[in-house]
Amino acid sequence: MLQYIVRRLLLMVPTLIGMTLIVFMMARFAPGLTGGGQFGEGGGRNARENRELARVNLLKKLGMMDADGKELPLYYQYWRWLKGAATFQFGESVKYGEPVSKLIGNALPVTLTMNVIATLVVYGLALPGGMLAAVKRGKWFDEIWSFVTLALFSLPVIWIGNLAIFELAYSKNLAWFPAGNLHSADTRGFTWLQYSTDYLWHLVLPIAVSCLGGFAYLSKLMRASMISNMYEDYARTARAKGVSQFYVVVRHVLRNSLLPMITVFALVIPGLLGGSLVIEYIFNIPGMGQLGVTAAQSRDLPVLQALTFIGSLLSLICLLLADICYAIADPRVSYE
Amino acid sequence: MSSAQSEAFTNAPIDPPETPLPALTAKHGRSFWQIVSRSYFRRIKNQIATAYVVLLAVVAVIAPFIANGRPYTAVVDGKRVWPLFRMLSREDRIVLLAGVGFLLYLAVRFFTRKRPPETRTPVRRIALLILVVLGLVASGGIMWSMRHGDNNDLMTREDYKGITPDYDVQGAVFPPLSWGFQDSIYPQSPETQFADPSKEHWLGTDESSRDTLARLLWATRVVFGIGLISELISLAIGIVYGAFMGYFGGTVDILGSRFIELVESIPTLFLIITLVALLGREIYLIMIVLGLTGWTSIARFVRAEFYRLRKMDFVAAAHATGVPLTSILFRHMLPNGLTPILVNATFGIAGAVTIESSLSYLGLGVQPPRASWGSMLNAAGSPGGIFHFWAALAPGIMIFFTIFAYNIIGEGFRDAIDPRLNRLE
Repeated sequence: MLQYIVRRLLLMVPTLIGMTLIVFMMARFAPGLTGGGQFGEGGGRNARENRELARVNLLKKLGMMDADGKELPLYYQYWRWLKGAATFQFGESVKYGEPVSKLIGNALPVTLTMNVIATLVVYGLALPGGMLAAVKRGKWFDEIWSFVTLALFSLPVIWIGNLAIFELAYSKNLAWFPAGNLHSADTRGFTWLQYSTDYLWHLVLPIAVSCLGGFAYLSKLMRASMISNMYEDYARTARAKGVSQFYVVVRHVLRNSLLPMITVFALVIPGLLGGSLVIEYIFNIPGMGQLGVTAAQSRDLPVLQALTFIGSLLSLICLLLADICYAIADPRVSYE
Repeated sequence: MSSAQSEAFTNAPIDPPETPLPALTAKHGRSFWQIVSRSYFRRIKNQIATAYVVLLAVVAVIAPFIANGRPYTAVVDGKRVWPLFRMLSREDRIVLLAGVGFLLYLAVRFFTRKRPPETRTPVRRIALLILVVLGLVASGGIMWSMRHGDNNDLMTREDYKGITPDYDVQGAVFPPLSWGFQDSIYPQSPETQFADPSKEHWLGTDESSRDTLARLLWATRVVFGIGLISELISLAIGIVYGAFMGYFGGTVDILGSRFIELVESIPTLFLIITLVALLGREIYLIMIVLGLTGWTSIARFVRAEFYRLRKMDFVAAAHATGVPLTSILFRHMLPNGLTPILVNATFGIAGAVTIESSLSYLGLGVQPPRASWGSMLNAAGSPGGIFHFWAALAPGIMIFFTIFAYNIIGEGFRDAIDPRLNRLE
């Protein structure tokens, strides 16, 4: 097993190098760099000089130029960026003037908490739902279920999120939930328990909205997986020797149907991560997504680079986890 | 066949039949696509979804003619003018040309399809001739006006409507909805902003007192165009990439797969917002960016199909007769593996529509005054601000319906071509 994990980790190295190359090059050849520079930022005599000075400043900040304003060779720039990335040092944010690592350090735990809870909710609801639909295949329940899950899968988060806030968290309508942010405005004097309840209470709406798509997708997958397994030989054998339908489904079919759900785990987390861009923007949650949106709106290159890098790293880790889980769950996968 | 029947069949005398076999009728066997489309259109949800997307396409092409603040024609100061046609931009004309071309193609396909000889009548040929002539005249007119049309129209909607007294306007013929995507109510006031639905404005107005319905109609162009073009780019890249991977296998396959994994490991939305932030927020750039990030799943599908097909006899036969490689790949193998790819592309369009609306909502996509459902939603209620229910309702529902329709089409199509699923249900 250990050998398998090590081999798998070694395979990740070329992917990682390629990924850093893409992230680095993307920024390096962006024409957007030349347009940088806020009003009067560079201290030049006119707009053109300002722009030029701002560009030079930005290039220096990004480590693309040395102190004399001479552009460094490309491989050396990449090497410097890679060295920084390895220790999670991505330079300073253009917009906030703070180290990018600090900004991300604040934002990452928030997004991770949200996504871990969302993943648990998605799997917890989708598995029984898909199972039920597969058992009742071809009946009206299944028809409606298929239609509803497809509708849920198609619901645009940007609309349903806003609608949820308006209907459920707006003071003139039902004010059941807080409208945004992660905790109440005044948390002084809260005990630990009170604070965590408050925190979770603020997460209810965002997580509910972000789960819709993933839930629909997974329950569809679960249904398809269950149905194809129900027609396998082992299920027929079990039925033939007199095992009740309930035990066939729960004992035999269910276990084998879980395998594709493990594979899909590698896709769910990156998907939720991308979805958090919109969710966090709508619900005003200070996580990676909101950081990304503000960075994109203000063309904050170092932050964007770092976010893309960390997002890719997270999805690679999820891929690894999914592979390991699969190897544990399915003895047919050889470790060699 | 029941057991009694089969028994009767096997026990039947094997003498040659006395009467000759009935002559073959003119009925043709059904082709693969006929079977698929019959099974597809049997479901009512597939019919509705297809009709919706066709309607979307039609509205996208003719939007300038049904929602415009300029009249088709009017007599201004004693001179006949054609303001609507003059105001069409170059893009509008290209879209129109494409629409006319597509209609002509459909007409030719419809009137020249294979039919039994006894039902052929000259009427069809005459109808086709008339249609082709009409189409050519229309495209000629559009082409001519592309060179001679200009946008130097100083008159506003109010001038043509006769609200302002600067011009003498007679006999103006307006489109059914006499508001364009950037015509504000004149004069603007707080009451005209975010107005509720009324007789004049069926879906209310937006933050700049523009008609929501008109903007909704114009935004179909963005949605339809982005879905179509970005998916075409994805298809082109994915098919070529996957075809070479699947056909050659070995090292090409391994290296190609590594690269796909690499691209897929970067979260798509983060990649897209980075690219959009750096490259700019032009609508064509968004199409290209979406196309460049969406090809991996298509490449996977094509690879799997080609991997299966390359062992088949017809490929070996084509190879043996000296057919060039590109011809083997794209004329012999591709049509045999096209169906799963098309299903995937339909889901891809739904994904592209989702991403475009999200980008526009975040202010990174289509920029005002150009209308997009995502940016209309953003205008109706940004985080922390007031949410305007009516201004958000229509674009939200339209985004939902569009994504839903594409997904239904994809699923229906997949069910129709997958005989295993049909057997199970």
